[in-house]
Amino acid sequence: METPQKDVILSVRDLGVRFWVNDEWMTAAEGLTYDVRKGEVLAIVGESGSGKSQSSMSLMGLVPKNGRASGSAQLDGRELIGMRDEQMQKVRGNDISVIFQEPMTALNPVYTAGFQISETLRVHNVMGPREAKDEALRLLRLVEMPDPEERYDSFPHQLSGGQRQRVMIAQALACEPRLLIADEPTTALDVTVQAEILKLMRNLREKVDAGIILITHDMGVVADMADRILVMKQGRVVEEGSATQIFTDPQHDYTKQLLAAVPHLGSRSEERAFGSGAEKRDGVDDLAAIPLESNDTYEHPGGRIQIDDAALKLAGASIEYPAVGRKKAFRAARSIDLQIAPGEVVGLVGESGSGKTTIGRASVGLIPVVEGSLTVGGEEIAGKRDKHLRGVRRTVGFVFQDPGSSLNPRLPVGESIGEPMYLHEGLKGPALSSRVEELLDSVELPRSMRNRYPHEFSGGQRQRIGIARALALKPRLLIADEPTSALDVSVQDRVLALFRNLQEEYGFACLFISHDLAVVEMVASRIAVMRHGHLLEVGPSADVVAAPRHPYTQRLLAAVPVPDPVEQRRRREARDALLVSGSEDLVG
Amino acid sequence: MSNTPRTTGPGGQNAPRGGPETGPTAETGPPAETGPAAETGPISIEGRETEGLSQGAIVRRKFFGHKGAMAGMFVLAAIAVFAYSAQGFGPIPGWWIHNHTSSGPIMNPAGAPTWSLADPFTFGQHPFGQDDIGRDNFARVMKGVQISLMVMVIIGIVALVLGTVIGAIAGYYRGRLDAFLMRVTDGFIILPTIVVGSILGKLVSGPNFSLFGLSSATYMAPALAVVLGAILWTSLARLVRGEFLALREREFVDSARVAGAGDFRIMAKHMLPNTMGVIIVNTTLLMSQAIVLEAALSFLGFGIRAPQVSLGQLINEYQSAFASRPWLFWWAGLFIILIALCVNFIGDGLRDAFDPRMKTVPSLRRMNRADRRAGRVPGRQMSGTGQQETGTTTAEAKRPGTDHEPGADGDGGDDGDDGKGASH
Amino acid sequence: MIRFLLRRTLSTALVLLVVTFVLYLLLDYTLDYFFDLRQSTAPNIGQLYEARAQLLDLDTPAVVRYFQWLAGASGCLVGMCDLGTAWYLGQDVTSQLPGAIVNTIKLVTAATVFAIVIGVFIGLVSAIRQYTGFDYFITFLSFLMYSLPVFWVAVLLKQYGAIEFNNFLADPTVGWGTIITVSLVSGLLWMGALGGSSRRRIPVFIGAAVVTFAVVWFILATGWLNSPSLGIVGVGLTGLAAAVVLTYLSTGLGNRRALWTSLTVAVVGIGLYMPLQNLFWYVEMSWLWMLLLLVVAIGIGLAVGLAFRGRDPWVSARTGALVAAVMSFFVFVDRVFQGWGEYSRHPAINGRPIATIGAETPNLAGDFWVTNLDSFTHLLLPSIALILISLASYTRYTRGSMLEVLGQDYIRTARAKGLPERTVVMRHALRNALLPLASVVPVDIITMIGGAVITETIFGWSGMGKLFIDSMNRNELDPIMAYIVITGLLAVVANLVADFLYAVLDPRIRVNA
Repeated sequence: METPQKDVILSVRDLGVRFWVNDEWMTAAEGLTYDVRKGEVLAIVGESGSGKSQSSMSLMGLVPKNGRASGSAQLDGRELIGMRDEQMQKVRGNDISVIFQEPMTALNPVYTAGFQISETLRVHNVMGPREAKDEALRLLRLVEMPDPEERYDSFPHQLSGGQRQRVMIAQALACEPRLLIADEPTTALDVTVQAEILKLMRNLREKVDAGIILITHDMGVVADMADRILVMKQGRVVEEGSATQIFTDPQHDYTKQLLAAVPHLGSRSEERAFGSGAEKRDGVDDLAAIPLESNDTYEHPGGRIQIDDAALKLAGASIEYPAVGRKKAFRAARSIDLQIAPGEVVGLVGESGSGKTTIGRASVGLIPVVEGSLTVGGEEIAGKRDKHLRGVRRTVGFVFQDPGSSLNPRLPVGESIGEPMYLHEGLKGPALSSRVEELLDSVELPRSMRNRYPHEFSGGQRQRIGIARALALKPRLLIADEPTSALDVSVQDRVLALFRNLQEEYGFACLFISHDLAVVEMVASRIAVMRHGHLLEVGPSADVVAAPRHPYTQRLLAAVPVPDPVEQRRRREARDALLVSGSEDLVG
Repeated sequence: MSNTPRTTGPGGQNAPRGGPETGPTAETGPPAETGPAAETGPISIEGRETEGLSQGAIVRRKFFGHKGAMAGMFVLAAIAVFAYSAQGFGPIPGWWIHNHTSSGPIMNPAGAPTWSLADPFTFGQHPFGQDDIGRDNFARVMKGVQISLMVMVIIGIVALVLGTVIGAIAGYYRGRLDAFLMRVTDGFIILPTIVVGSILGKLVSGPNFSLFGLSSATYMAPALAVVLGAILWTSLARLVRGEFLALREREFVDSARVAGAGDFRIMAKHMLPNTMGVIIVNTTLLMSQAIVLEAALSFLGFGIRAPQVSLGQLINEYQSAFASRPWLFWWAGLFIILIALCVNFIGDGLRDAFDPRMKTVPSLRRMNRADRRAGRVPGRQMSGTGQQETGTTTAEAKRPGTDHEPGADGDGGDDGDDGKGASH
Repeated sequence: MIRFLLRRTLSTALVLLVVTFVLYLLLDYTLDYFFDLRQSTAPNIGQLYEARAQLLDLDTPAVVRYFQWLAGASGCLVGMCDLGTAWYLGQDVTSQLPGAIVNTIKLVTAATVFAIVIGVFIGLVSAIRQYTGFDYFITFLSFLMYSLPVFWVAVLLKQYGAIEFNNFLADPTVGWGTIITVSLVSGLLWMGALGGSSRRRIPVFIGAAVVTFAVVWFILATGWLNSPSLGIVGVGLTGLAAAVVLTYLSTGLGNRRALWTSLTVAVVGIGLYMPLQNLFWYVEMSWLWMLLLLVVAIGIGLAVGLAFRGRDPWVSARTGALVAAVMSFFVFVDRVFQGWGEYSRHPAINGRPIATIGAETPNLAGDFWVTNLDSFTHLLLPSIALILISLASYTRYTRGSMLEVLGQDYIRTARAKGLPERTVVMRHALRNALLPLASVVPVDIITMIGGAVITETIFGWSGMGKLFIDSMNRNELDPIMAYIVITGLLAVVANLVADFLYAVLDPRIRVNA
């Protein structure tokens, strides 16, 4: 790559970004050297804070005010670093454009989707409003937007997440840029929508001849899209190579660890995960058995357990968010039947809005059960008020999704951990201290940390504290609501390992809620799948992952990208086949 | 670079936004190392600012670093000490030779001040001048400062208690109770405070009103203050309610409930400490309104009345003398402005200190200097879209290096309230 | 949407009803109906008390009297108003009100409009120049304004803005030192507001200082202050300048057609100056005429923009219309000021044009222009006092809101699209930043009405506020109640308008409601 080639669009040499914080320069990225060629997807991979995003934003002069870029980056021979603002404005959106992560906040809420696309067109081209509208409509069709004419006049809040991202992509493609920077383009999306957007981007890649920089932390996405990969860690590139090279023969230790830490769908089932090969075609044959719209629960053999002393038992339970003011009550889960045996880990999977979190919260009485019954350790929760739930809450622990938000920022973590014991067992003073220290030991945190405040901890540490707190009363049931989804993969890997050890040690039953099938498969013995408040499928993990029966589950599984380019290509094809055989398309 | 669609962002208003997971450098250590230490890794860029400090300590440090607020604190403290020591308080006598009621011989023609810029080191008998019957203006202004400060503090306390309790209850219990309490605040907000204040002020200082049989002179100022506090709490209540509504959705509140905490404990132990920032800041700003309101009411004749003095009352008493004895008018007014200005600056400093988004100001000059020291060429730089021609800003030194946080909605909307909270 | 507004209005109206009830009882307890008899030594004092009690029907319980009052007041809904009587003056409240309401609304509206326009503008610049000297200066200034007691400012304004200024007008001379200081300060302000690199700052500073110096010198040297008018040259120059500035702000100077449109409109305006003077001379003018002429002017602006065609005729037309409106304003101001000399020499004015008392000069017979000038000189000081106190809140609010918005993701998107900074700020940031202002305006209007109580008292402006204070001093219950109801209704209307505006401007609400 040292020899300049004529199809090199962007040539970055020794690029660095640093920030002025607390009266000194902190380096966010340094020594970046790479080329991007025409029609090529260069993936920059790294965990939080690896500087992957900032370094790419610096190509367009979009670093915050206290940031500076150094080094050189040439787009078709023009130096970008230190370019004057007026010139840079002509480059932005025209030669280089960006797809941002969060399309809800990245689109201006008070202008229509169409206006925002036309605006991009008109700022760089001599174009009247009518021409711009035609062109914008063409772009919306290009990004496969359903009803482009209607969507043209829609405001961002009227579009779904996938549609917003399509608008974002259309806007980025408007001026046929030489270079497209996709900054975590699918991270904010559900997995099925993500698959749609990735498919779109793959199609577009062949149509537009731009170089693409794909910034992501998701190895699955990388495997799906990338030609070449740049692995970054703490502001430096640790490894660079072709996709196959990196995935099959990583050289640097960090790359190896990163790949090892990624949960791999199908890793625990004896057969490969659904969609990984033609050998599971017989599963597809069953498609006709259950229509896609069906909301009935399919139970695999061994999917339902019938025991009397279930740790958690929902029988025809419906759960409603109560009406507040004029906001109507919202029924988030309908007629759910599910049991968890003592000591068993059950995974609850679904996309956003599927009601999985609702079930978790209802299990500790945070949301009322309005129909049917929900028992914890044999004790009925439905219809009980806060006061009468104390007994139940003593036996249930809850690990929250966001470790930053689930700890009171004004309390030292020791106090947070000790609170349940203080409230339920009346423990105080040294007795409480020693119990808190024991718990810190068990989650592998130093005892000295008990006097610190949550903001001093990293995400992974906070989640350990959250787990310690949930285990304070030695619960028989643990509800874990997306406990690792806010964490980087390597941290997630270690937290999951800790979780499994603790589960063996304490022997609690667990409802493990996650959107990530691969994670759930790793920890759960049974998996339950939800959609729009209905439980669709329950079964042993291996069965659900390898031979899903409900078409929705099949689609969900097929949409999960796996960190292996070869397998991912196979899965992709299987998914396309699945979608063709299914009657309707999933609209992003 | 948070990793999932379902992250709700690391915090609302009072959570540390610059938490370690948002920093541009690595939060995580190499996965090879096992054990907890590995997760800390090098502390993030933003984490450096707050390393090893409790929330309170961070706020204190930012507050003490705020020049305007420190100047305000200093001047206000000086004024208070000066006023109380000069005129004495209760049984303790002051060091000033005159008191605010006794009249003496008129020294200068028309009672002009004996202290002037021409000779700033000679204070004389009547540095702020005398009024038409020879009362010493300095003594009267100092006494007025005393009363006005006391009124301000009482108003602050009353409004603080009422606003916090009502706002907390409304925000916590929501539903009908909330709707009712909010209609009550609407009732207060629908009319200008000065109008309701006039009516209540007239009530308190009127003949029909008595308090435990005390003479009106002893209770007038405190009673007026309590009454005014009872109408100024509404803005605070609304803000506290908003905070509580937002905090209710935070997971640590659910977490406390799951841990078995009751309503009172959740409100007092978990939610209130997280609302302290809003409460302190807005009470401060409210106090600056309070002193101006008291002065205005006294000026209109519905507040403190002669023979009692307050700064507003002095201006009222002397407004017709403006042409002939301007000093009577100037000094009282200047002290009102000075006190209100100090309180405003303190409030601004507190707001900045409590606002987790406020970061130290990046100074272009210092950045360049450090650049030169490091031997870098400042010309070869690129800054956040231009300190040059068009000059843009990236607001509040937007979290450096935060790639972006999905759904960081938790902290929207509070700036708006700030703006309102400060209006009067 | 309509249901939402209706519900809001109804609930506020209910609140207002409860407020009137509570305040009626409170006032009845507070007011001393016998205040004028307390010191009396009349022999028939007992009888006087008796008569007063009978006059005010004090034997009836206050609650019953409230409902009697309410019955009378609700008559207003069907056109049979009975708001009681001001017993001390012996007047019907309904006869006191109309003039007072008009005067207060005039004052509050003028002050609100100017406070919003100036405050938003300063706040915007301050946000864009965050953490510069200019920003700190504005911040300090707005804190100072927060801290100013309005009554104190009003008294000062009366002294220096009117009495001393009128004295100054009699002999307008200013020392060179003052002129130079003013010029330098103006230079510094412009430099701070426009910002940029040092290479740009210095010319801006020098230019602004020199221009200010020249203008001040011109004003003083030509005795402009005694016959202030712009004349065709002034109108022309300001019109051309407005054309350039407005084009820059709305489309950028890169849009040549828009620039040509606005310049053409300015030239047309200059061409119409003389014919208009003739019209003003021969035809008696009225506000209807003014409105008509404004509409015609805007029509011309639109037509010119459309005539230039181009890809985007409506953008040019919009700019043209804006320029036309500004030109019309200048022509109007010019004509009003042509009457200055005549007004100033009028015996009722006697060379002291800036008024300190009242809403109009009694016995001033003049045409449309002179009457307007008169009401302008009366409005000037009370409005300044009101603007000063609410300006700060708009400045701070806009600044905070703007900074918040500038940190949003969509602003980064807008920059990433390659939009010029002007578009990013004016189109993407300002619109979003101003949305929440809709909820501040009604609050501020209520504050203004409160401030008006004080300014009206000090400036003898016979409006609602003065009526309130006078009635309080005369212990008259009914006018106070009328004041409360009308102020409350104004607040309800302000809130309604704000809700409506918010809903219109923010698409997220439009759809949800």
